Amino acid sequence: MLIITILVSLLLTYFTFTYIPKLPSLFSNFKGFFNTPGFSQRLVGFLWSFVLLDLPVFASVFFGSPAISSEIETRTAFYVFPLPIPRYILLLSKYFAAVSVTIAVIMVYLVVQGIVFYMVFNGILLLPFFLSMGLTILFIFSIVAVTFLVSTIFNKNTYAYISVFLLYFLIFNAYSIISEVLYKVVPYYLLNNSASIIERVYLNISTGFGSFTVTPDGAGYSDILTSLIIMLLYTIVSLAGALLLFERKEVK
Amino acid sequence: MPQIEITNLTKRYGKLEALSDFNLQIDQPQCVSILGPNGAGKTTLLKTLTNIIKPTSGSVTIDGISVSENPMLALQSVGTLIEQPEFYPYLTGREVIEFAARVKGANRAKIKEELDHLSNLLSMEEYLERKTGTYSRGMKQRVCLAVALVMEPMILILDEPTFGLDPRGMKEVRDLIINLKKERDIIILMSTHLISEAKEVSDRVIIVDRGKKIYDTANESNDNVVKVTLETPIDIKHVNMKLENVQLTFLNESTFLLKLLNGMDNSKAISQLLSLGYKVKWAEPYNDIEEKYLKSVSL
Ligand SMILES: Nc1ncnc2c1ncn2[C@@H]1O[C@H](COP(=O)(O)OP(=O)(O)OP(=O)(O)O)[C@@H](O)[C@H]1O
Ligand SMILES: [Mg+2]
Repeated sequence: MLIITILVSLLLTYFTFTYIPKLPSLFSNFKGFFNTPGFSQRLVGFLWSFVLLDLPVFASVFFGSPAISSEIETRTAFYVFPLPIPRYILLLSKYFAAVSVTIAVIMVYLVVQGIVFYMVFNGILLLPFFLSMGLTILFIFSIVAVTFLVSTIFNKNTYAYISVFLLYFLIFNAYSIISEVLYKVVPYYLLNNSASIIERVYLNISTGFGSFTVTPDGAGYSDILTSLIIMLLYTIVSLAGALLLFERKEVK
Repeated sequence: MPQIEITNLTKRYGKLEALSDFNLQIDQPQCVSILGPNGAGKTTLLKTLTNIIKPTSGSVTIDGISVSENPMLALQSVGTLIEQPEFYPYLTGREVIEFAARVKGANRAKIKEELDHLSNLLSMEEYLERKTGTYSRGMKQRVCLAVALVMEPMILILDEPTFGLDPRGMKEVRDLIINLKKERDIIILMSTHLISEAKEVSDRVIIVDRGKKIYDTANESNDNVVKVTLETPIDIKHVNMKLENVQLTFLNESTFLLKLLNGMDNSKAISQLLSLGYKVKWAEPYNDIEEKYLKSVSL
């Protein structure tokens, strides 16, 4: 996981250094915006944060999916469950451990991004970078919570892995697309849509069906707040669900 | 005094009833063995006692505390070994036992003391520092036993404790159980497939079949039949023992069973024998668990 993260960040580093001078010609559509101060950094930041929508999902699935299911699959549950440790402590410590590792890995990426930006943009790091970082961390809390909820349902690791991926990349996306096509509404309450705030703090690009609007600014505070609350809700509801299920979990 | 009480316990897996209306009460320190064929429900019973599964209906309490409602408290002083657990392969045997000791409230000095004691008791010194991922089945079983025994539990729940051990290991574990009983007022509830093992280590034997208790030595009056061993063999064909209120069955030339009739008590029966000039080497209440088992357990 760490290796993938480093590779991706190196790739983007290379890209950034090579294409920075050519940006205006590459994104000729946005020509007018390059006069806006800080636009280059917003644009490059947007591109970097693109990865931050998926990378935490991979990392969290990698570290979090087997958390509970593996106890049962590898029969360690027979050792741990009868010990006098409350189950919620077991679950929460595993949760925080998974969140910490995931954050640590993603931080490697963010630190590389920070250094590159520092060098390219002459020592100026704009607010969106830090906003995006904070929101990424919140996103990690919520996606790991969702992963844990799924993990407590299954007794086999592979089922847990596959289910999180299916849920996040297939079901959420399919639902989004259907909702957008049929009802012309973006289901902002889905985790993947609210996570897009991580890139929208750089550039508010909304890709509604058939329309495509770009503003040289990042998303507004009300937007950020909405996403923040949604991600918090996902975290709390999923964790509560996981705790409840885990308390009743049987090892058959 | 430690205490286990199981009342009207039923456990279903889907349609299959693994335990039906099961009742069991253990209210004094003793070793209770559960015998029964594969799939009888032995492990299921022990799992409900350790909060690994929840009863479909009925209640399971340890020292009066419901296991499913308050597992933390109920299992505070219970050591368990259920269905050959595995450990995190990257931990050493020492770390596995240490973790169990720590969650049971041991401080550093106590942990060391327990580890030294248990590694010696279960002859694990040689591999305790190795990662459990590299252990053989029997080595793991010993670590399981150490985890169950750590911090001197008042109740031990052991699912086939000698499973996977070599003959010496089996003997060591049986001796260990016998010694534990002697040294401390402890309840040991174990399942086994070995009738001889059940006889050797336990004070009470329960036979389970298809989720039901079909035999419990506690419910049989043991004094009904006495097994007598004589010092010298006798000629069975020509013997003519005239004993009052006693029915005689020979097992071999020096052992026979006395079935006591009409309220005859065993000391009187023995003194009749002595007065007829037979030298009694040994006499004990007799329960033929093996016979019971073969008779009552379905094929
Ligand atoms: N997870 C499960 N799902 C469905 N049925 C189960 C499950 N676990 C056990 N059973 C069934 O419950 C019954 C009792 O099983 P249990 O494991 O308690 O038997 P056992 O007496 O321990 O047998 P063994 O001597 O083979 O260990 C069996 O019929 C078994 O098939
Ligand atoms: Mg079993």
